[in-house]
Amino acid sequence: MSEDDSEVRIRPLDELDLDDIVAIDERIGGEYRPEVWEARVGYYLRRDPEGPVVAEVDGQVIGFMLGEVRSGEFGLEEPTGWIEVLGVDPDYQSRSAGRMMAEALLDHFREQGVTRVRTLVDEEMEDLSRFFSSLGFEPSSLRSFVRTL
Amino acid sequence: MKTRTATLPKKYHDAVIKWRETFIPDFDFLMESWDKHFPKEPRFELCAYREMGMCDQIECGEHTGEPKHTRAASMEPEQAGHLFGAIRAQASTEFGSIQQHRLTLARAQTEEEQVWILRMMAEELRHGYQMLHVLHEDDWSSVSKESTSDLFEDILSMTTGSHILGAFNIDFDSFVDNVVFCALIDRVGKYQLAMQKISAYKPMAESMPQMLREEAFHLAAGVVPMRRWAVQAAKGEVYVTMEMLQKAINKWLPRGLEMFGDERGGGTNVRYGLKPMKNAEAQKQYYEEVEKLVTDVNKRYVRARLPKLSLSEAEGTVQRVLDGETVRGIRPEDLIRTPHQEFFRRRGVPAFRMVADDGSSVSSVDDYLRHLRDHLPESYLAGRDFRDYTETLREVVVDGLEIRDAVRRMPSLRRVAGACPCSKSVRWVAEAPANGEPATADAAAS
Repeated sequence: MSEDDSEVRIRPLDELDLDDIVAIDERIGGEYRPEVWEARVGYYLRRDPEGPVVAEVDGQVIGFMLGEVRSGEFGLEEPTGWIEVLGVDPDYQSRSAGRMMAEALLDHFREQGVTRVRTLVDEEMEDLSRFFSSLGFEPSSLRSFVRTL
Repeated sequence: MKTRTATLPKKYHDAVIKWRETFIPDFDFLMESWDKHFPKEPRFELCAYREMGMCDQIECGEHTGEPKHTRAASMEPEQAGHLFGAIRAQASTEFGSIQQHRLTLARAQTEEEQVWILRMMAEELRHGYQMLHVLHEDDWSSVSKESTSDLFEDILSMTTGSHILGAFNIDFDSFVDNVVFCALIDRVGKYQLAMQKISAYKPMAESMPQMLREEAFHLAAGVVPMRRWAVQAAKGEVYVTMEMLQKAINKWLPRGLEMFGDERGGGTNVRYGLKPMKNAEAQKQYYEEVEKLVTDVNKRYVRARLPKLSLSEAEGTVQRVLDGETVRGIRPEDLIRTPHQEFFRRRGVPAFRMVADDGSSVSSVDDYLRHLRDHLPESYLAGRDFRDYTETLREVVVDGLEIRDAVRRMPSLRRVAGACPCSKSVRWVAEAPANGEPATADAAAS
């Protein structure tokens, strides 16, 4: 079976995915940041281990999507699903892994009683904007502001 | 999925609180520190959680497709006996690990590591409580002659040395044990919980999801500090060395493998629909996970020592060093290895075979004991558990003691004094006084 024929499998994140996530992040961003991911994966495994997911091909992790349900932030009192970070190995970006992970995470949010899911996307990342649009996300009136100190 | 919460009747709930006050004396510190270390996370609550909406039909074995059992009385006697033993053993492990962690908790080098373990201890207490709740909800008289009070007393009175599974009868020697235990022994727990999630006994299946959610963090509380220690070791810090990590892995992995039960067994649980995998199959998957953990820790070490290496160069370096080469100052002994599945075993198929960490056979007892001396933590060698093992090994090899008899000796029960339920000297479960006053769980010394 060629690489392209292998099935993409989605499953919940676990602590042994750390190195694979670090490697994907490094391939995308060019920076080795294990301490960042050790803290984040630890956080998500405490908060809601059934939410964040990874995508596997032939047992190798090729993508990850982390998110959780939060309430009371930015004046949003309703439980809101937040998709916070997504990474897919550049060699596997044509395999719909991102879409499959998003569908799994959205299903999880639904099970938690969430009716709205939000994310933040940099305007310059057009691919990512298109990706979320293709999943049914629409621009929100909630705008991001930033000030440098 | 919806979850419902429940608590034990007051006298049993209070007994667990009393037990907590004895074995988790830092619980109040955990609660005081909660918002600092776990901001916005739900606070710990001592209760039982039952997942609603789970599968109603038996998912494996001879009765696949039939309705799951909601009462032990509807099960075949042998099936109920297996289940009862599993619940009791599960409870024993939950309470047992707390007693082990408590010994060396204060030796954590950072508050974060300490609070992570402390939270994990509190959640293990909840898991024990969950198992007591499963026992309390049903009538087990067909498989146990003990009253509920005596059964709970029996479980709460177990201490390191009298628990059901060997891994819970070994003292921790340092905080390295707290962490490596989470990474290796809680990993076995994850397998057991995941397998029991399909249990043909519905209350058991419904108890597993929340326990599994909590267990995910327990594994991280082991793996993340191990990775961080590897980095510190690579930078030349001497607090926790790779050799110390290796020796702790050598100490715990054999016990973890044995927790799956004999490699030839597990078929009965599958047949009865209590677990989906036989022992050997689950054990193999577990061993592969440990191999991945060890590889990842080595990669973390190499990249900390040689930060300019790319990922693929680091992977190549790890392999070359493990193959015996010294690469840019990294020696083979600087990295850790997964000991062979038959190393230092005293239960299961390889029990009392003299197999070295690399899988080679050792022919003389003295040579094997020297090998173990060089590969196990020094403080562990000085303990009773190791002494019992070595004495039994000599009897097997020199005096011809049958392996099955040797296996039965492990673990030996050492510490039951003062806590035997029939002695009535100390009771965790206090019966309601005759005058109708509310029951308390004060230990009553006679």
